[in-house]
Amino acid sequence: MTLLEELRQSIEDGHPGETEKLVETALAQQVDPMRIVEEAMMPAMRTMGERYKNQDADIPRILAAARCIRSGFALIEKEDASFEEHNIGTVIVGTVEGDLHDVGKNLVALMFRSAGFRVIDLGVDISEKQFLKAVRETPEVQIVCISSLLSTALPEMKQVVKTLRRNDPEKKYKIMVGGGAVTRQLAESMGADAYTENCVEAAEVAKTFIV
Amino acid sequence: MVRVSFVREGESIFVPEGTTVLEAEILAGLKPDAPCGGTGKCGKCLVQILEIAPDESVDRKDRPLVRACQMKVTADIFVDTLHSQKNEHAILTEGYLRPVQYHPGLSLHQIRLDKPEAGEKRSDWERMLEQLPRIGAEASGEMDLALAASLYDRRMESARWYAVYTEGEVLDLRREPGRICFAAFDIGTTTVVGYLLDAKDGSTLAVESRLNPQVQYGADVISRANYALEHGTSVLSGCIRAAVNEMLQALAAQAAVGTEDIFQISIVGNTCMHHLFLGISPGSLVHAPYTPAISQPLTLRAADYGLDVHPKAQLLMLPVIAGYVGADTCACLMAVRPDQKEEITLLLDIGTNGEMVLGNRSRLIACSTAAGPAFEGAKITCGMRGAAGAVDHVFYKDGVWSYTTIGGAPAIGLCGSGLIDLTACLLRAGLIDENGRLESGQEDPQVFVLVSPEDSGNGKGVYLTRKDVGEVQLAKAAIAAGIELLMEELQVTEDDIAEVCIAGAFGSYMNPVSAGEIGMFPRSLTGRVRSIGNAAGEGAKLALLSLEEWKAAETLARETDFLELAALTDFQDCFVEQLGFETA
Repeated sequence: MTLLEELRQSIEDGHPGETEKLVETALAQQVDPMRIVEEAMMPAMRTMGERYKNQDADIPRILAAARCIRSGFALIEKEDASFEEHNIGTVIVGTVEGDLHDVGKNLVALMFRSAGFRVIDLGVDISEKQFLKAVRETPEVQIVCISSLLSTALPEMKQVVKTLRRNDPEKKYKIMVGGGAVTRQLAESMGADAYTENCVEAAEVAKTFIV
Repeated sequence: MVRVSFVREGESIFVPEGTTVLEAEILAGLKPDAPCGGTGKCGKCLVQILEIAPDESVDRKDRPLVRACQMKVTADIFVDTLHSQKNEHAILTEGYLRPVQYHPGLSLHQIRLDKPEAGEKRSDWERMLEQLPRIGAEASGEMDLALAASLYDRRMESARWYAVYTEGEVLDLRREPGRICFAAFDIGTTTVVGYLLDAKDGSTLAVESRLNPQVQYGADVISRANYALEHGTSVLSGCIRAAVNEMLQALAAQAAVGTEDIFQISIVGNTCMHHLFLGISPGSLVHAPYTPAISQPLTLRAADYGLDVHPKAQLLMLPVIAGYVGADTCACLMAVRPDQKEEITLLLDIGTNGEMVLGNRSRLIACSTAAGPAFEGAKITCGMRGAAGAVDHVFYKDGVWSYTTIGGAPAIGLCGSGLIDLTACLLRAGLIDENGRLESGQEDPQVFVLVSPEDSGNGKGVYLTRKDVGEVQLAKAAIAAGIELLMEELQVTEDDIAEVCIAGAFGSYMNPVSAGEIGMFPRSLTGRVRSIGNAAGEGAKLALLSLEEWKAAETLARETDFLELAALTDFQDCFVEQLGFETA
């Protein structure tokens, strides 16, 4: 097994310690960070996605793999500050106001990064004003992802989608919604551009939005 | 020789060092109550040890009660035998987690309504109140015009009356003492449990439980809160109050008393159940940062909340600790009182939300973690509640699998304790790896069949799938991560935890060894686990049985700190780290 194959394996197995060690070794051997991402991290997450679809991996295993990926990204960014500039597009993500849950949102964010996007994570309990401010400050944004676990936060989510739509008559960015409380029907009635049931699909759908 | 002074009787006696307090009592001729013969089993011989001479400036409340038969005298001591209290009311030990002195806020007093002497200036009302114990500086009592108006007629009827009295208020005057009762309720999201207690001695007269009828408007707290936000709280408040009323009727019928003999009702429940019972919108509770609308203990009029008991009966709502750490957790704390201990206690109440409290007398911290309903049987392919036919224990030894079911019925599913056992056994058998991947070695490697369809009670068999193992991982990791972060916050390690108290029916069934093996809590704590049953219900009872406990509830709720896990950046890492299994 090559170093990158080993790295890929460690992510799929969900061993963050090993992942970190292998990323460090790769960086020390002057392996291009882009190669680390494209040849080890992205394929690993793709495999996890496939396995999830085939019911061969569940959320705990995806979370474990995601944690490895995150450690990997952290190391790469420490090494190469300009790394973030390599991306296929910009995504804003956040959990809607009234909700503090972020496990799902963080997973989606990592999936997007693994898929090559630049991710601006606004955090949790994000109001409509904060979403609006973020899209205005980030004119290059292509996708806005809004998450909610609690069904009690759905009215707020609806409001954010409405406000973002009104703010963007030319439809410069797409709006995606997701999280435990959201269903496809709800997403459609809110006027979101896309809904996916899980984080793996989210990144796949997002890629189709990038021209 | 050392001197033992019995402060209540005014006796003292010299005994050799090493004599027990019980022996000293007998030597002093006090006739102590020790049904088990001083073997330390019955706990009836409780006394209070006062190291120093009792004097009114010393607060005696904090002095622990000890068993006289087990307490050896090594120096001069003062002992309160609590004897006259025992004669009136037994000190509660049996059936209670913690012995408390029986001192209810509600009591029955014989009073006289005599014809006044000539020249009497005081009113009949004042003369009645003067015969009742004074509560603090308030001697006037709550005015009750209807009762005052009846005093003349009553005086003409008889001079001897019994006052049902609580904290400065006369609730009723009766000709005969009769039986007066308390009712305690634990309103859970799924189940409501009610107890009827005799106010004479605190003994339990009847127990009732039933499904919370609000279930029809949503199975969990969030969906119920949603219903309340969309349709108003009245439907949900109405249906839980109606259920409590039905239960009061059933309890009274069981004990052959009237519902009008019930004078005090205490209620505990999670914050959402608490708010909905009172008719308070749970809006603030389900929107970040999830604060309760009201948290302090409340003394209300039961009739104002539609409860069909004595018209002046009191409703005691125990205090809430935080948005997702409710009055039920406060009641569990009352049943354990970790705030009175030097050693560190971990309290776990595992349901859809796992509430936990860690600490000792210097500090208690609580948190709530979304464990999900896996341990209640939901989301698990063959999962079910703990009812007849549920596999409750699984054993694996030397390649041989065996199991037991509730009621010995043919197996139809897995309840929480069976799920934990099965997972632990699969780990032991090497069929689940450290990441939770199940390779059963059976026909379908992703499924482990414990009970074949032929042997089962439903023709489907009982089995565990790879996905089920994932649900177990999510649930146990949420609890384990909560414990870890509480330990971090309190700056203690698992070695410092002296006792793990697990509340709820689940705690009584669960095998702590299995729970430790799957990593629900640090494995080293296995030997320190104690099941405390329906501690929330116990706490609700204690609030009625002891005025001191009811007062302590307020301090407990106020001084228990709350750790919001969602606000901690460490939570997700900690959670993911706990997802895996420690394999042998």
